[in-house]
Amino acid sequence: MQTNSSRWSGHALYLLIMAMLLSGVYFAGQKIDYSWHWERLWPYIVNTESQDIVAITDGTALVDESGQLTIQPDFGGDPQVVQRYDTLVSRNGDLIFQGDTIARIDGWRFGPIAQGLWVTIKISFISLIFAVLLGIIFGLMRVAHGQVWRNLALTYVEVIRGTPLLVQIFIVYFFIGTVFDLDRFTAGVAALSIFTGAYVAEIVRAGIQSVPVGQMEAARSLGMNYAQAMLYVIMPQAIKRTLPPLAGQFINLIKDSSLVSVISITDLTKAGREVVSGSFAPFEVWFTVAALYLLVTGGLSWMIQRLEKRLAASD
Amino acid sequence: MTDINETVKPLPLIQAKQVNKVFANGCHALKDVSLDIFPGEVVVIIGPSGSGKSTFLRTLNQLESISSGHILLDQVDLTDSRTDINKVRADVGMVFQAFNLFPHKTALGNVMLAPLKVQRQSKAEAQQTARDLLTRVGLADRFNNYPSRLSGGQQQRVAIARSLAMKPKALLFDEPTSALDPEMVGEVLDVMKELAKEGMTMVVVTHEMGFAREVADRVVFMEDGELVLEETPERFFDSHHPRLQRFLGQVL
Ligand SMILES: Nc1ncnc2c1ncn2[C@@H]1O[C@H](COP(=O)(O)OP(=O)(O)O)[C@@H](O)[C@H]1O
Ligand SMILES: [Mg+2]
Repeated sequence: MQTNSSRWSGHALYLLIMAMLLSGVYFAGQKIDYSWHWERLWPYIVNTESQDIVAITDGTALVDESGQLTIQPDFGGDPQVVQRYDTLVSRNGDLIFQGDTIARIDGWRFGPIAQGLWVTIKISFISLIFAVLLGIIFGLMRVAHGQVWRNLALTYVEVIRGTPLLVQIFIVYFFIGTVFDLDRFTAGVAALSIFTGAYVAEIVRAGIQSVPVGQMEAARSLGMNYAQAMLYVIMPQAIKRTLPPLAGQFINLIKDSSLVSVISITDLTKAGREVVSGSFAPFEVWFTVAALYLLVTGGLSWMIQRLEKRLAASD
Repeated sequence: MTDINETVKPLPLIQAKQVNKVFANGCHALKDVSLDIFPGEVVVIIGPSGSGKSTFLRTLNQLESISSGHILLDQVDLTDSRTDINKVRADVGMVFQAFNLFPHKTALGNVMLAPLKVQRQSKAEAQQTARDLLTRVGLADRFNNYPSRLSGGQQQRVAIARSLAMKPKALLFDEPTSALDPEMVGEVLDVMKELAKEGMTMVVVTHEMGFAREVADRVVFMEDGELVLEETPERFFDSHHPRLQRFLGQVL
């Protein structure tokens, strides 16, 4: 039994240790010859600077009475029409070359880090759904009566678990991606789903096998067929038991998604690498990137914990 | 049974003919077991542990396949590959020693599940039946309890109600009171006696000799996978069969 006071003193000690660790990091940061510029990071997350509108063709600038700016190409072709802008940089009749700034627009947009975060969330979420589908299908095959199914599922699990994800990503992108003409993002999703699906399959198998055989017998004795017994009796119980290991696997998936940057998907990690070279603030960037991953994984853990609580009603 | 039944003998509801069961590990659990169970009859099976009682019971609803012989329900051979085994199982309910209630469902949910999913009853109909059955087994105040919140005796009564919900032709009981604390045995046996009185066909594996004496139409003694003796209760308990004497000497 833990007394209340020992719990509070435990919390206090924890805070003290954390404060010491963080100040250690802080003073280490002060000691090295590094000037911190957290403010440089901001534009890479949300960019509030006005944006340049660039000419996409050589030509002549024309501004009509309504203020609409048109670049009329000198030698034919479609004109570039700019309807929305806040500051005009070119004047009526100006000679414009491709790549010139012709106008500016105010407002904000997401910087590369925010966009990278979005790509990471998107790729993880889509992969998670496919991984769960694959995991359930192959997990069921692992416990099926037919030997063929069991062998097939075991092969999938062993091949995927026995090779590095990085290698799988290359194989999916360069080989399967070429055969089926997949774009980067699809290839990334495919590799992550197939990889995570193998682990989910093992978790699902273990979950199903942890349900006492008497449950299947009771269900079958009531006249349910195998599929009905699985669906209404075994799986609901198995899923409850698989939630904690599944949570760990999903968190791994989010972290593993950083590997898709090797096939030039601009996820959070790749965005971080790009921003480092532009901002000259590597420490700030990587701390921020780590914090953002922590935010996503933490959010997922929290959601799964809530689900677990909800399912605990029958305990 | 009455005289009328003796002269115009009805067809057996369940027939086991020369049933053999050899498990994959070579264990010969049933040796040429034959038994007829007539509609409305209560047959009690007793015998030492490991004698094949559970195995025999489980072959009757094909939870266990048989190695040779035949099992017939209403003259339909269960070993025939054309027989719809799910339909058969819905007609022969089973009550287990370990209750095997569905832990993620309430008492009501346990009783309603099969009627909803197998018989595709409407929710209102299934719920009405479930309420009636739970009331009948004395659990009118426990509709919404999860199994983890029920005592062993209550769980077993829910399990009986769950089997009855499929309106079975026969019920199989595998040591239904063996996992219960002594003070709860009575409440389950009372429900079973009530069912017997209402004419339910029952095959009961039990060590409750009082129940066998009081309720059974026939008592069967099994040992080493063999059906040794099959008698009315009076004749059974007066029998001087040496193997039965040895067993009764041990349990009584
Ligand atoms: N699944 C199985 N595989 C192998 N042997 C089994 C299996 N189930 C039961 N047996 C064996 O069959 C015999 C009869 O078991 P059982 O029917 O459970 O006996 P009882 O219910 O009378 O105690 C025992 O010797 C037991 O070890
Ligand atoms: Mg037994």
